[in-house]
Amino acid sequence: MEREVRLQKIGRRKTLRQRAKENRKWQKASTIVLPVILGVILVGLWQGQVLHGWFHTDTFTLPLLDKIGGIMFDIKDKILINTLSTVSVAFIGLLVGSLLGYLVAVLAAMFPKIGMGGLSVIGAFASIPVVALAPVLNNWTKDVSSQASIRSMVSKIIVVTLICAADMGLNAYRGLTEIKPFSEDLMAIYAAPKRTVLWKLRLPNSLPYVFTALKVSVPASIMTAIVSEYFAEYITGVGRQIRENIVLAQYSTAWAYIATACLIGVISYVILMALQSILLRRYH
Amino acid sequence: MKKIKAITGTKWFSSFLWIVLLIIAWEVGAMVVAATKRTPENILPHLYQIIAAAFSGKKVTGDMTAVQAVLSSAGLTLIRALLGFIIGAVIGFLFALLMKMSGMVEKILFPYLMLIQLIPVLGIAPIILAITGDINISRVIIAAILSFYPVAANTLAGFKSVEQEKYDLMFIYAAKRRSLYTKVLIPASLPYLFTGFKIAAPMAVTASILVDTLQGDGGLGCLLSQSLKHAMSIHVFWLIVFFSAFLGIVISKVIGLIEVGIAPWRRRV
Repeated sequence: MEREVRLQKIGRRKTLRQRAKENRKWQKASTIVLPVILGVILVGLWQGQVLHGWFHTDTFTLPLLDKIGGIMFDIKDKILINTLSTVSVAFIGLLVGSLLGYLVAVLAAMFPKIGMGGLSVIGAFASIPVVALAPVLNNWTKDVSSQASIRSMVSKIIVVTLICAADMGLNAYRGLTEIKPFSEDLMAIYAAPKRTVLWKLRLPNSLPYVFTALKVSVPASIMTAIVSEYFAEYITGVGRQIRENIVLAQYSTAWAYIATACLIGVISYVILMALQSILLRRYH
Repeated sequence: MKKIKAITGTKWFSSFLWIVLLIIAWEVGAMVVAATKRTPENILPHLYQIIAAAFSGKKVTGDMTAVQAVLSSAGLTLIRALLGFIIGAVIGFLFALLMKMSGMVEKILFPYLMLIQLIPVLGIAPIILAITGDINISRVIIAAILSFYPVAANTLAGFKSVEQEKYDLMFIYAAKRRSLYTKVLIPASLPYLFTGFKIAAPMAVTASILVDTLQGDGGLGCLLSQSLKHAMSIHVFWLIVFFSAFLGIVISKVIGLIEVGIAPWRRRV
């Protein structure tokens, strides 16, 4: 103890950088403070119209932030309706798709001979561009309902479902099969039937992988919902409003919807993270 | 009997089985649709009709047959997607490198990286078009933004996956910072980089097709919206759907092949 103290006295004074590196409080604070500083600078550049100079644009196509906020407040009822439409499409698609993908993964894990191929076919669905899927499903769902609002909603949900199913299927399969070898041996020693292995070992083991899949598929479901709105028959949803307003050259309204879309993305991700920290507590 | 078992046991057999099942399901669906609908080719044409349309010499546009039209616009779309993808990937890699070199840069930028992922970039495609005013520039920008995040995030994860022992070894060798990066960190990040590429490449293509639909300037998306509006045979539409699905699948396979070439230690049995 004494020696340590003496060493420090003899040694040179530490540089500011070194001291900052060793100060834990500063380290913790800087993860929040530094990005906030950048954010403030960005907002300043935007409000001060410096960004407009860089991009060679004007306040008509790139409105100031306070104006966007004002418009969001003014048309909040309309925004709410469109948000509801987009979010319900994304959420239902996410739910159905994830369940479907998980089911396929369970089947593939139980009957690997047939299931593996099914999984690779599902994986192929993931690489199909949304822009190709959306119009096809529009045509297929023409008879679902006589109301355009319902049938275009169904077609959008199916597109989101396919995209999410692929993502969940591939990840969940990894979670169901990448098991620590000794636990599989233990199950064999217990002479556990296949069903017990599934319930007690495979399903719990796959939970973290489910969240890995969700981290990709939650933003993807929103993105897919927005893109499939572009092709839908019935005009509704945040994505469609962005496009409609730009066609009408109402850029500030379009920006209000863009801000809404970003908010939906951020909020859904925060909800997912909160869910993860609650459900995965015993894994840490 | 043994031979049959050997064939059914192979990996590709079950994929093959599934594809056959899908084709059967498609054809059954097509038959039902053909019997009940007035315009079956809009909803579910027979596969042979699509193939026949692909090989028929009939001109769908001024001077091109269906295949020529699809391939030439696919070429346009792909080149633009590739340009955006390369720009995005290079910037993403450089950002990851910068963030690895300086903890402060990482702290400043990482939350914004997350944000970029959460913003529906394809949703703001029209506004980027409005700002740049040029369809080609905006296409490249959107493809770049979309490829940027997966590449940057995965490469950073790759840099972080390097174990402490390797750093210690390099320290014992008295290795320079530069050789630490060129000999240890960058090779270690390669598999992760390719995972990023595999996510980014289909997205870049999707982005490119989507931007095509915004403004007519050739490209798959443009052809897609034209054929949807019956400006030409609807079979062209189906050709495009199949072709873009095929593109998406092939691209991730190609990147897998490149990965094996560049990072042979990733080769699996």
